[in-house]
Amino acid sequence: MIIKKPSIFIYTNEPDAAALTEICAGIEEEGVFFELKEMETSNLDDLAWNAANDSMLGSGIAIKGKYAALQMRGLNKGRNIQSYQNPTKEQCRKLGANSARAIKKLAFK
Amino acid sequence: MTYIAGVDIGNSTTEVCVGEADLNGSIHFLTSSSCPTTGTKGTLSNTHGIKTALKQAMSKINRNMEDITLIRLNEAAPVIGDTAMETLTETIITDSSMIGHNPSTPAGAGQAVGEILLIDNLSRGVSGTAYIVAAPSSFSYEEVAALLNQSADSLDITGVILQADEAVLVENRLHKKVPIIDEVARINKLPDGVPAAIEVALPGQTIRMLSNPYGIATLLHLNAEETRTVTPIAKSLIGKRSAVVLKTPGGNVRENALPAGEIYLEAENSTSINLDEGAEKIMQVVSDAGNIRDLSGQPDTNVGNMFNRIKKGMSEVDNIPDADIHITDILAVDTMAPVLISGALAGETCLEKAVGIAAMVKTQQLPMQKIAEILKSELHTDVKVAGVEAVMAGLGALTTPGTKLPLAILDMGGGSTDAAVISEEGRVIMTHQAGAGELVSMLIETELGLSDRHMAEQIKKYPLAKVESLFHMRMENGQMTFVDESIDPRFYGRVVLLAEEGFIRIEEDIPMEKIVQVRQDAKRKVFVTNAFRALQKVAPDHDLKNISNVVLVGGSAEDFEIPEMLMDEFSNYRIVCGRGNIRGQEGPRNAVATGLVLSYAGEIQ
Repeated sequence: MIIKKPSIFIYTNEPDAAALTEICAGIEEEGVFFELKEMETSNLDDLAWNAANDSMLGSGIAIKGKYAALQMRGLNKGRNIQSYQNPTKEQCRKLGANSARAIKKLAFK
Repeated sequence: MTYIAGVDIGNSTTEVCVGEADLNGSIHFLTSSSCPTTGTKGTLSNTHGIKTALKQAMSKINRNMEDITLIRLNEAAPVIGDTAMETLTETIITDSSMIGHNPSTPAGAGQAVGEILLIDNLSRGVSGTAYIVAAPSSFSYEEVAALLNQSADSLDITGVILQADEAVLVENRLHKKVPIIDEVARINKLPDGVPAAIEVALPGQTIRMLSNPYGIATLLHLNAEETRTVTPIAKSLIGKRSAVVLKTPGGNVRENALPAGEIYLEAENSTSINLDEGAEKIMQVVSDAGNIRDLSGQPDTNVGNMFNRIKKGMSEVDNIPDADIHITDILAVDTMAPVLISGALAGETCLEKAVGIAAMVKTQQLPMQKIAEILKSELHTDVKVAGVEAVMAGLGALTTPGTKLPLAILDMGGGSTDAAVISEEGRVIMTHQAGAGELVSMLIETELGLSDRHMAEQIKKYPLAKVESLFHMRMENGQMTFVDESIDPRFYGRVVLLAEEGFIRIEEDIPMEKIVQVRQDAKRKVFVTNAFRALQKVAPDHDLKNISNVVLVGGSAEDFEIPEMLMDEFSNYRIVCGRGNIRGQEGPRNAVATGLVLSYAGEIQ
């Protein structure tokens, strides 16, 4: 049996380092685990949708360059919950927090 | 063809009903409409609202406003409801001696005692003294953690207070775990070098030491006298997930009783009562006083100012000298209002005792004739002020299927609750009571600590639901509803109102159960109390048992739960009580307007 921690999946494609750090911090502050994976896909919507569907918790984040998106399992591809182009530090932190709050069934920030 | 329009100007809504009269005088109803009243009821600015409503109604039957032959206005009772709220207690923190709040993610658990040390001054700390380090948001979590780890060996750091929402981030990076409180907005107000105690509760629990006076005394080494002064602090920290208490020399939390003042009743049995006595006593005194000519408050007290404000507002609207305006009835309701504690560091609130009051302001006469003249010249139609409001409402209410005389009507509007009893011979006894829909909105607004009245109005009108996932939500009655199309993420995890045009998000983070409870309590406190008060006044021999039928009309009778509450209460008196259905189609609205059109038939016969 393979035991994996239930975690939020973050699929990246050459991500912006600062954005990635802040998003991870947002998730960490909410106390949820996350896993990072660098992918071949370069489409943001595909990345987010795949991350959400692969995550046991059903919450996924995509970061491609300076683009970031939050997606949840059950939603159609492209219907991201949040997506940013060139997000600020605060927006990244909130995006991360929201991916965790989605699982905790708390209102988004 | 003659088109007759009945126009009813209410405190909050103007209603219109249009009928067609044939030659032998029988009436055929065509259309109706309603729109918000413009300006205070009975003033000239009402004409805008009247015209809008008339236009709306006529356009439904593809006619113009000019086709109307006769407009009949109600002889509106010269009473206007007004509301005010007065807090009776207040809590003041001097020298900012506590922080108690519910950050969503504090870190660590347990209590810590130490001197406050700002992170800038970390180098000034000496070994052997316990410190609680305070860090503003200009320091990132990595910097805070690095600095704390550096000095972990030389200094005894027992706890951390952060301004940013980063408690978990800092804790994960600390070598030595300590309780951490975050989201303290006004951290710059923390005095350096003062002994303090912090506590973070275990997950799922609330704090235990700092919400207990002896707990604070144990942690901060207080004597008996000092312990007495921290009791209000402990009280206001009950139920919190984290707290900070500072031991400042002059620091204190005071619970002040505000001088509320006396209410003077000029009545059959003139008397007075202090507002402090609470709503129940005040209402007893009001009902014992008999017919009230005027109410006033002790000058230069809260209640005095409140009554003056109401009277002044009324006289400004009507240009009637002060002396002609009387407050003839009040409804007082006890309530609790969350008030921002002055001197608080993280926006803490404290529940303060308050009294909500609705007053019935009576003037000599409303200038209805003037409104009629203006309408006449602007619309070039005949306009007549016809009929007393309560009689018209009775006539309209009788068009409800299943009603007959004698009949009692309870008109629950925005500003007042009116009752009338119409005997078999057609004699009418009526009364106007202060307090209705607007008082309910005010109670909801204050008890939930909402920022605006509009939101309270919405909460009053619509049932609630909690969006639990993007595909399902739980209604306030426990029922689950699933949707095919995903719910907008803006509503995720929130309590929403189920309005006709979609969801309305409640911004404040208040549990659904609490909102439901506050809403129902407010409605019960106002409408059930007033229904009994009003009907008792008009019932033959002032005995409710002499009433057999009650028809509920007016805007608040449309509410989704008020009629059921009243039905429930009245069933104990074997009274048939229910929401009216004017002309079998209008629901409880439009009774007066319908009555005005009907009374035309009576006049020409």
